Amino acid sequence: MTTQTEAVPGRTTQAPSTTEIWLRRARALAPLWTLLALGLFFSLASDTFLRPINLNNILVQVSTLALLGTGLTFVLLTGEIDLSIAAMVTFVGVVAAHLFANLEIPEPWPTLIALGAATLLGLVNGIATTKFRIPSFMATLAMSLIASGLAIWISQGRIIFEISEVSRFFGSGRVGDTGIRVLTVVAASALLVAFLVLRYTRFGRYVYMTGANKSAARLAGVNTDNITIAALVICGFTAGLAGLVNVGRLGSAQPQVINSFLIDAIGAVVLGGTALTGGRGGIIQTVFGLLIYGTLRNGLDNIPQIDPFAKEFITGVVLLFALVVNVVFSGRSSRDRT
Amino acid sequence: MTPTPVLELKNISKRFGGLQALKNVTFDLYPGETHALVGENGAGKSTLMRILSGVYSDYEGEYILDGEPTLLRSPADAQARGIGMIHQELSVLPELSVAENVFLGRQPLTPWGSIDWSKMYRIADEELGHLGFEINVKRPLEDYSLGIQQVVEVLRVILSGARVLIMDEPTSALSPAEVERLIELISTLRQQQRSIIYISHFLEEVMRVADRITVLRDGQKVDTLKQEDTSVDHLISLILGREVNATLPSATEHEDKQTLLEVRDLCSDAFNHIDLVVGAGEVLGLYGAVGAGHFDVARALFGMYRVDGGVIILDGHEFPQRFSASYAIKRGVAYATESRRKSLMLEEANYRNITLPHLGRIARIVPNRKREVDIAEPAMQMVNVQPPDPHNAVGKLSGGNQQKVAIARWITFPPKLFVVSEPTRGMDVGAKNEVLGILRNFRNDGFGVLVVSSEPETVLAVADRIIIMSRGQIVSELENQGNLDKDALMRLL
Repeated sequence: MTTQTEAVPGRTTQAPSTTEIWLRRARALAPLWTLLALGLFFSLASDTFLRPINLNNILVQVSTLALLGTGLTFVLLTGEIDLSIAAMVTFVGVVAAHLFANLEIPEPWPTLIALGAATLLGLVNGIATTKFRIPSFMATLAMSLIASGLAIWISQGRIIFEISEVSRFFGSGRVGDTGIRVLTVVAASALLVAFLVLRYTRFGRYVYMTGANKSAARLAGVNTDNITIAALVICGFTAGLAGLVNVGRLGSAQPQVINSFLIDAIGAVVLGGTALTGGRGGIIQTVFGLLIYGTLRNGLDNIPQIDPFAKEFITGVVLLFALVVNVVFSGRSSRDRT
Repeated sequence: MTPTPVLELKNISKRFGGLQALKNVTFDLYPGETHALVGENGAGKSTLMRILSGVYSDYEGEYILDGEPTLLRSPADAQARGIGMIHQELSVLPELSVAENVFLGRQPLTPWGSIDWSKMYRIADEELGHLGFEINVKRPLEDYSLGIQQVVEVLRVILSGARVLIMDEPTSALSPAEVERLIELISTLRQQQRSIIYISHFLEEVMRVADRITVLRDGQKVDTLKQEDTSVDHLISLILGREVNATLPSATEHEDKQTLLEVRDLCSDAFNHIDLVVGAGEVLGLYGAVGAGHFDVARALFGMYRVDGGVIILDGHEFPQRFSASYAIKRGVAYATESRRKSLMLEEANYRNITLPHLGRIARIVPNRKREVDIAEPAMQMVNVQPPDPHNAVGKLSGGNQQKVAIARWITFPPKLFVVSEPTRGMDVGAKNEVLGILRNFRNDGFGVLVVSSEPETVLAVADRIIIMSRGQIVSELENQGNLDKDALMRLL
């Protein structure tokens, strides 16, 4: 149809030198190098690391985290944060199990209601942050207490051992005869959908623009409040999915909040290269962050010589190092200019 | 003048990759002298300024301070050797008191190691008095105007021992009265034997404050002139490297203009009882000092400032009391703010900045990148963005070209009314004329244009009619038929 504009993407104004281009690319791929380095190290240090079973294990281990990271990526891109996700995981698990086991409501209602409840809490987060101008840090911190408080109240502090087939299917089912687990598929689908939305849709563009420069986005007619609300709602929803999957994996609904979910999810997303200040990053980055996280955690378990009590410490040190490499190096190129 | 200069640059050259930013530039500064640095955007002023203030230390050539070759390693190093920098964007802390800002980082201490407040207040008060300012130094700095905040910054730099002050566009955000005070302040500083490097686009100001003027063009020094040997027109021709045609594209006459925008009795906390009419094919200038509320009127027309009452009618449609920016865009209002940093995504590509307000019209759900580029390209060509690459990040363009992008985004789906705040702030002469020409073209195509500005030159150059605001009220309305001059506007404020 058009003939003249075809050549546009190839046009450049001033050609940077080839080495410069490669250097820039190498920097942008810092998370990939980190992942490869970790993978290489563990495959040399451990006999068991590279076995297919173990690689599948890594995927299973990061799946819950991946669901949390998916929604969190949206939130961080708009320049906000959601501290309530770990509590949401607990809350959703307890609600679904309580409805099913104690109130004897048949599936799929418990699952749907629990997911809906998490989404609703996400909406409350969004409204508090935008309409009442409470910083998301504080609003979601309060929400974290509300969600975990509800979980304890509903369950009366007791673990619910009876969970539905639906939950079990999500958490520990397998796809056909393959070793691939349903929760891995759920997590991968969530990441894929989020990727398409952020990369190719108008809404995705608005998410980036809201985080990059809120006032500019508003001046261009973007309703940044609605975009922020939507991001927090999406985050509530994916945290809900993570909650369902988690209950299925554990085989019971526990009322205690697993705080490491929150720290690990934020850690993985930021490690991948999504900026806490918003506007930069994306799902690809989050995937890398998740895989680095998963490889690190799993790899340490595969080296029997390591003192198990030192693992947490080593993880922390490696993470800090990886953050320095990834965030500083890949962030530098865009901050060169004054 | 004393024979030894305080500061001397010899054959300075600086490259950025393939770009020669400065080539064999020589510059000197004597005690008690004000030496102005002028040139178009991109002529090398900022680079030279960064070398002078120690930001760049990797350049060719010699930097001689007090007769000795020196290498400044950092801005802090420069500061320690008596070279202070006043940036265009002030680095004051508005919540702190005036005195605290004056002594930022160097508060006087009592023998017990706590802050000696009474001494701090006393000295701040005295020093401001010496400069001719009587203000309450205990009040937070944000209570005072931008002009005073600048004075405080100047004082802070002086008290930290600066003999050489580099002032970068010090008047770009000041009202005319504040500019007058700044000029007085500079002459006071000159009497104290301090040397000033004055960087500005406002050549009339430069002619008033400078002893000597150095003109840069394309990274090279064109000439250094004594103030009495030159004139504004002469400077302009040196800056541009050609004779200038000072007249703008002339207006084709539209008689019996149809009313496009009618505003009646618009009130808010920043302005009151605003009545104005913009006709189709007319440029209305809204002029006022900084803080007169005219910028807020512009925001209100775009749904971004809360109004308490009044009516806005565009093309026969009355706007609701509260409306969003996207409503205003749909109704045909375009708005370019006074701050490019606030209106553009500097790290994003040109085409994305241009299509952002219209994404909904371009695609319901999935915007097609090629279509976006197809839309952005002709718009960029129409306003002559240089370089015209739609994939380039806006932040990499010069200020003038960024402003053109801010305008280009409204061309594709033409608005009915174009509201522009400070269309030419901080621009060099060439870019200024180009942008004003673009606004004239809008007008000749039958749009309504509302130019909101605190720069009298801008309004006079482009507006058919001028409304003058002061303290939130309209004080006067004038036809602009080439019979008005700056003095007339400034007297009416």
